Amino acid sequence: MDLVHAPDDVEPTSESARQLTEENARLRRICAALIERVESGGVVGGAPYAAFEHSVLLAEQVRERTETLQRTLGELHRAKAEAEAANLSKTKFLAAVSHDLLQPLNAARLFTSALDEHALPEPSRRVVGHIGRSLKDVETLLGTLVDISRLDAGVLTPDIAPFRVGELLDVLAEEYRQIAAAQGLELRYVPNDTLIESDLALLARVVRNFLSNAIRYTERGRILLGCRRHPEGLDIMVGDTGPGIAEEQREAIFEEFRRIGGDREDRGLGLGLAIVDRISGMLGHPLRLRSCPGRGSVFAVRVPYARTKVAQRHDPERIRPASDRLAGATVWVIDNDADIREGMQALLGGWGCEVVTAASLEQLDARANGQHADVLLVDYHLAEGDPDGLEVASHLQARQPGLPVVVITANHAAELKAEARRKGHDCLLKPLKPLRLRMLLATLLEARANAPARPQR
Amino acid sequence: MSASSLTHFPRQAPVASSAPLLTAFSRSADPQAVASELATALGHDDLAFVLFFCSAEYPLDQLGEAMQQAFVGVPMAGCTTAGEITPQGYGRGCVVAIGLDRRHFAVSLSLVEDLDGFDLIRAQQLVDDLLDECRGHAMAPVGENSFALTLLDGLSSSEEQVLATLDAALGRIPSFGGSAGDDNRLAHTHVYSNGRFRSSAAVVVMINTALPFEVFTTHHLRPQSAKLVVTRADREGRRVLELNAAPAAEEYARLVGLEVAELDASVFARYPLAVRIGDAHYVRSIQRVNADGSLSFYCAVENGIVLTAMQPAPILEDLEAVLGRLHDTLGEPVLVIGCDCFLRRLELEALGAVDAASRLLARSRVVGFNTYGEQHHGMHVNQTFTGVAIGSRPRTG
Repeated sequence: MDLVHAPDDVEPTSESARQLTEENARLRRICAALIERVESGGVVGGAPYAAFEHSVLLAEQVRERTETLQRTLGELHRAKAEAEAANLSKTKFLAAVSHDLLQPLNAARLFTSALDEHALPEPSRRVVGHIGRSLKDVETLLGTLVDISRLDAGVLTPDIAPFRVGELLDVLAEEYRQIAAAQGLELRYVPNDTLIESDLALLARVVRNFLSNAIRYTERGRILLGCRRHPEGLDIMVGDTGPGIAEEQREAIFEEFRRIGGDREDRGLGLGLAIVDRISGMLGHPLRLRSCPGRGSVFAVRVPYARTKVAQRHDPERIRPASDRLAGATVWVIDNDADIREGMQALLGGWGCEVVTAASLEQLDARANGQHADVLLVDYHLAEGDPDGLEVASHLQARQPGLPVVVITANHAAELKAEARRKGHDCLLKPLKPLRLRMLLATLLEARANAPARPQR
Repeated sequence: MSASSLTHFPRQAPVASSAPLLTAFSRSADPQAVASELATALGHDDLAFVLFFCSAEYPLDQLGEAMQQAFVGVPMAGCTTAGEITPQGYGRGCVVAIGLDRRHFAVSLSLVEDLDGFDLIRAQQLVDDLLDECRGHAMAPVGENSFALTLLDGLSSSEEQVLATLDAALGRIPSFGGSAGDDNRLAHTHVYSNGRFRSSAAVVVMINTALPFEVFTTHHLRPQSAKLVVTRADREGRRVLELNAAPAAEEYARLVGLEVAELDASVFARYPLAVRIGDAHYVRSIQRVNADGSLSFYCAVENGIVLTAMQPAPILEDLEAVLGRLHDTLGEPVLVIGCDCFLRRLELEALGAVDAASRLLARSRVVGFNTYGEQHHGMHVNQTFTGVAIGSRPRTG
């Protein structure tokens, strides 16, 4: 049938035929218009209606794609939530396990330190030394594993505060000078007292890693610990005269379980710099590595300067072991773990302190006989149902204004540390490091001796 | 100074407590009075931008100048209307205005004067400039938290190309807007920018905010079975000369069961025509019957397109459902800028439902105007309620 041209010479014979012919003609015209439209394919060059139609089709496509995208996004969110939940439960498990392990380890360390204070025959002293070092290694490994999992799960939040870099480095220099000496290395330390702003514990971990690595990989020569000022921050640097790191290996050393030149006897897992990398990322402290193969390396972390003046907590001049202050000082220890109490009794007793231990406030009241203390050491987590360490401390400070308080906890959460600091307490993490405890006690007692009438902090 | 000078008050209120925007309207016939009333209601130190819609009855030159003087240094955009939506509902012969606070909105705007020469390159440049300017003081990432508002001369017959081009340049940034009206006189419609009212022009406003928003469109028309094929059209003039191979007005009158002489805007509002593309229907509104029996439309037409007869469903039910959904999604509305086709208002007037509609609009915080066409994502549509709803619920990532 010819859709476009009307047939020629058709004479309508009746009224109905005439109507049909007319309708037929209109239908042909409609047909023609539709054909024209279909054949133009909607691409009438620049015609207004085509522009409209194009927009409609485009909007439809966008809508479809947005829907697909949102579906995919939804699936991704679900998958991410599941992965995060799995990660979190892993972290919780690790935290629980490590907490349970840290308690007995803590007690063992305290006992060993106490044993070390006794006059022992030389062979026994060596054995005690070995036990002490082995326990320390276990503790370090455990701490490292927990830290890695916590950093990965993002549950570790930094506790940023201003402090003097010397507060951190003086202690580390002292500690590592001895370790370095044991390896026949010299540690040179250039003291510095610049005010910086960081998380003290996390930054300490970074510098410790630098120092341990430097000592581990350096056969002979020197380790250098010092700082250099830059406009954007203070570089804390650890240099060594070790084998150096080849250009192509400089990224790899920051990955887990990677060690290079591992021909030496080595107890590490190779996790150290992986942690350093994560911590520096979290704190926003850039890392720098300069190295010359065969001559040595310098690792540095750049820490911002403090924006505000820090209220001087401890005069750095006085951070020196002042063991004479410890002798005769009354120290109260509140911990619900009997082994810890016994360990602390042995350790503090060995330093000449008068120690009163108790599992709770009631017990302390019964044992202290109304006497006052020079320092209170209190565990944050006391027995189920009892008030926590902070509440106990407030209670005792109400009775004895100005009583110095050290809160001890296995909880690495920044909020707790911040809370303790806000109340003017010092905070130590489990497992307790005897040297650090001793230095802190000395500092607190020194400050107390110089300001006997200090009002409540 | 009063006694309060003893106390120091910060000059700038904290962001959290400041209202993100203010709305106001004036019924005064005197341009000077209008401008000073609006300036009193909207003026403050952090006023970032003023958007206003005014009746075409005003002496526009004087109104433009008065507004310019009342809001010195404040960017402004606006257009003439076929009726206003004030904070109290439908209004007529008045001016309604919205003032955005710079602590909640970053705004940039641009004027397009050469609508015919608006090609993709110019559109891209315009969008880039707008985004750059917004970025300088953006409240939230510009790509995800901005929308574009377009105001076009409603009688320019250029909407389709301008919008399609602009939409291509905007990419994923949602856009909406309305065509300026002139109280159904179909003589002169104007958009306002840079202190002056202009014809054959468009204003594009880019608005960035951290508040949640959604660009939406709705209509209440349902397809019937009858179809009309355009068999002769004047595409430049937006005229349909023949429908189903018969004079267009005659064929349309036959469809709705009336005489050609009886056809007027209220009939067009009750018996709309739409094109179907995919599963959706897009209304093509009739503007008027011409002496030669042809029909003029408010939007582009083409030979061979198929028009479907449409029938209105309850208009307020539809509007209430849409505004309710937006409330649920975005929280209590801070503002809805509504571009409401003037044919919808004619229908409401015919139904005696203007007051009920006004109450719903006021309750839902709608401010806007009655248009000669709406714009949604680059599409020029008719007989819809199109706009942006700005909510109060903080955006969740």
